Amino acid sequence: MSKPDVHGPWYRRGIDLLRLMSIVLMWLFLGGVITWMVNVVRVSHSLGDALTVSVGVSVVAVAVYTLVAAVLTYVFFGLQRGRGGPEK
Amino acid sequence: MRTFEPSATSDPALFRSIDHTTTKFYVTVGVLAAIVLFAVFMYVRQVVLGLGVTGMMQPVTWGFYIVNFVFFIGISHAGTLISAILRITQAEWRRPITRMAEVITAIVLAIGGLHPILDLGRPERVMNVFLFGRLQSPLLWDVTSISAYFAASTVYLYLPLIPDIALLRDRSRRLRWFYDFLSWGWQGTPRQWKVLSRAINIMMIVVVPVAVSVHTIISYIFAMTLQSGWHSTIFGPYFVVGAIFSGIAALFVTMIAFRSAFRLEAYLKLIHFQQLAKLLLAMSMLWTYFTFCEYLTGFYGGEPEELKSILYKVTGQYAPLFWLMVACNFFIPLVLLGFRRFRTIPGILIASIGVLVGMWLERLIIVVPTLENPRMPFPSGIYVPSLTEISLFAGALALFALSFLGFAKLFPIVSVWEIQEGRALAKVEMEERIQSYLPDEQAGHVQA
Repeated sequence: MSKPDVHGPWYRRGIDLLRLMSIVLMWLFLGGVITWMVNVVRVSHSLGDALTVSVGVSVVAVAVYTLVAAVLTYVFFGLQRGRGGPEK
Repeated sequence: MRTFEPSATSDPALFRSIDHTTTKFYVTVGVLAAIVLFAVFMYVRQVVLGLGVTGMMQPVTWGFYIVNFVFFIGISHAGTLISAILRITQAEWRRPITRMAEVITAIVLAIGGLHPILDLGRPERVMNVFLFGRLQSPLLWDVTSISAYFAASTVYLYLPLIPDIALLRDRSRRLRWFYDFLSWGWQGTPRQWKVLSRAINIMMIVVVPVAVSVHTIISYIFAMTLQSGWHSTIFGPYFVVGAIFSGIAALFVTMIAFRSAFRLEAYLKLIHFQQLAKLLLAMSMLWTYFTFCEYLTGFYGGEPEELKSILYKVTGQYAPLFWLMVACNFFIPLVLLGFRRFRTIPGILIASIGVLVGMWLERLIIVVPTLENPRMPFPSGIYVPSLTEISLFAGALALFALSFLGFAKLFPIVSVWEIQEGRALAKVEMEERIQSYLPDEQAGHVQA
């Protein structure tokens, strides 16, 4: 299916690095969302302002983001492990 | 598990938008870019001069921007929800449609999500949502649900795109590194197909409740207040129905435009339009039912403020827009989609444009009249949008078209591998499925 290799090893390493960065970015994004949620729950606690509601909403939001990140990671590593041979 | 190897040479028409760039394409991109640039200029002017350049004033503090926000987020239901439902129900006619639907979702969500920022006189204060947001406010529920839906929809668009990106990687000379990066090492091995199918199956289940929650939560920014015309228990499902309704109409307009522009008649056949038109007609009936319930209960209750708001829409200042909305969302689809004679591609296009106009009016009629007639002892007011707001609306529509064209220049707008999979595997699977639905021949013979 793939064309013959016309690029050197640095090209392949660069592409692999970019791919790895894309999945790392997804987890960094999730980290940002969790930090945001923890911050707004902390604000809610310090103001004594509907803490349980804040915790409930943030748990649902974090769960959805985590699921999306997990599916993407599963596909990323699944495709790497499922390769028939080295990439051209 | 059955697998097959998609071919990059079998369906050249599906790569036409990527391989050939016509003068018409450049002219269209130029015109759209000019409209977007003008909108950017008007927005910068608004940031410099303040919200006084808009038509908003006391008591009408939400105008075009919030109307367009609700409208665009509604259209986003075209994609992921329709695509997911068609995949879940294994509707075989979905194959040429799903990609376009998923692209609409991702683009429109990004554009719609920006509208509340346009509505801020000081856009840098959007950071307050992250620093001091209150999670018990429906406004913050909106931020979280829309961003979660955007993340889920983008992943749901990307995953079925991977085999097509690999085809592009193997056939393209330009941007090969880009396709190579995005293909994530796809080689089409049975193990890779298994991983991808499993992930798509998970995502198509996940996006349905997320999509429904998004528009329900958008309705809550109105329904959770005690304002007449907004405080309604059916607003959640009413908004979801309206969103799917406008989403299908937007999908039709996009399908017809791209079918004509890239000569995809062999892939987007009349049967696809007729099948989806039945869904649009069903949504029209459902929307009419919800509208009837919403207005009748308010009218029958006779609560003075609620009645004032309803009469203002039905017989007062907004009556022409209200009845135009009813015509666009009920009568036009009923005639053009209800009778086989009119259910042609031009008929479906007219009905879809009518629905888009009608649904935009519906959002306007929900947002503005309530604010024009405040319950508190404030003077009432009439909202007239300014050139700034009209320009930004035109800019948002142009940005949508421009982004879609940009996508079509990089990726196939009809899923190549799903079409080829349909040819290679679906016929056999369909036969087996139909066989499994039917009783065995011996089942009718009851033993004496």
